[in-house]
Amino acid sequence: MTANLTQSEPSHLPRPLDIATVCVYGLSFLSAGLFLFLPLVNLLSPSPWQRYMGAIHGFAALLAVVVIAYAGHMAFPLLRGVSKILPQMRTLTFWSSCMSFLAIASGNWVYMRYRAPNGGARAWLRENTPLVHYLFMEYHEFTVLFTLPLGVACTWVLWKYGDSILEKQNRPILTCTCMALMAMMFFAIGGLVSGLNVARMHTL
Amino acid sequence: MTQHFPQNSPGLPFYVNLWNQLKRFPGGLAAGAEDPPAISGPAAAALISAAFSCLLAMINQHFCSIFKIWESLVWSLGDWIPGSKNPDQFYGEIGSYSGKETVMLIGWLVTWFILANLWRNRQIKFSTIFFCLFTFLVAATVMNWHPLFPYLPLMPK
Repeated sequence: MTANLTQSEPSHLPRPLDIATVCVYGLSFLSAGLFLFLPLVNLLSPSPWQRYMGAIHGFAALLAVVVIAYAGHMAFPLLRGVSKILPQMRTLTFWSSCMSFLAIASGNWVYMRYRAPNGGARAWLRENTPLVHYLFMEYHEFTVLFTLPLGVACTWVLWKYGDSILEKQNRPILTCTCMALMAMMFFAIGGLVSGLNVARMHTL
Repeated sequence: MTQHFPQNSPGLPFYVNLWNQLKRFPGGLAAGAEDPPAISGPAAAALISAAFSCLLAMINQHFCSIFKIWESLVWSLGDWIPGSKNPDQFYGEIGSYSGKETVMLIGWLVTWFILANLWRNRQIKFSTIFFCLFTFLVAATVMNWHPLFPYLPLMPK
């Protein structure tokens, strides 16, 4: 009888630690979701070209940047030789390259309207604010292309060399691969920033 | 080859298991190749050819800006890309940019093929790989704003 009084019943309520864990996951999902909503503003554009071309390219580009930036950040532990991330790095660089291709392909499509003689943004920008075209759009057009060969090269090297890439004699290859991953992230983020800057000056 | 795949666990939330599955998809790629090279030549060929294609794209861009005949020739190379030429005044066309992409693509694959054959059995020094990667990428980036470009008038009206 005395023992029953002193022993507490096991609680079915979630512990503060569990609630905190759910909050961490929940907030991370919400933050990522909010960020991915960024291209949705295109759907509110008065321009019908921007509403579908801009939205599709915006989604493709943003997803590409998210995946490529994730791969770029994983280059830090890779550079330190963390072996458990190697399988993920191989698939991540592969999907980064795929997303890069989709962003470029949709960009080609959007570029058609950008150059259109009737109502295209390029002619207006060159007439009214040429710096936007010559500084941002020229940079945007070419540097986003750099992400594809860099991504494919990194994917191939990470796959071909397997786990042996972490061995001492392959350290130069690992370092240069990480550098290429960082360059890929640099060009992808630069492409997003320059593309957004052009789009905010003149829609499609 | 050591495998580091995270295992699914019934105790973990579904999204953690889903994420673990996504991280190792496709499986053949995640496992890596069976016969890794013992030398750095193949990796150097892949990385340097990628960086070289970036530089080549920008060199070609300068030639296109200076020589209109060259631009027409390059544009004809890009005919295979949908939208390269389009008479629609509202939709527009990609123009010579399609040829510039094609030059970059061909340059990349041809360089990779040549270097992969040249360096198949060679050990390439770290300084060589690093120098090429760094120089090609920096030069390609800077060449986006080369003074040969028609910058004037620059300021908004």
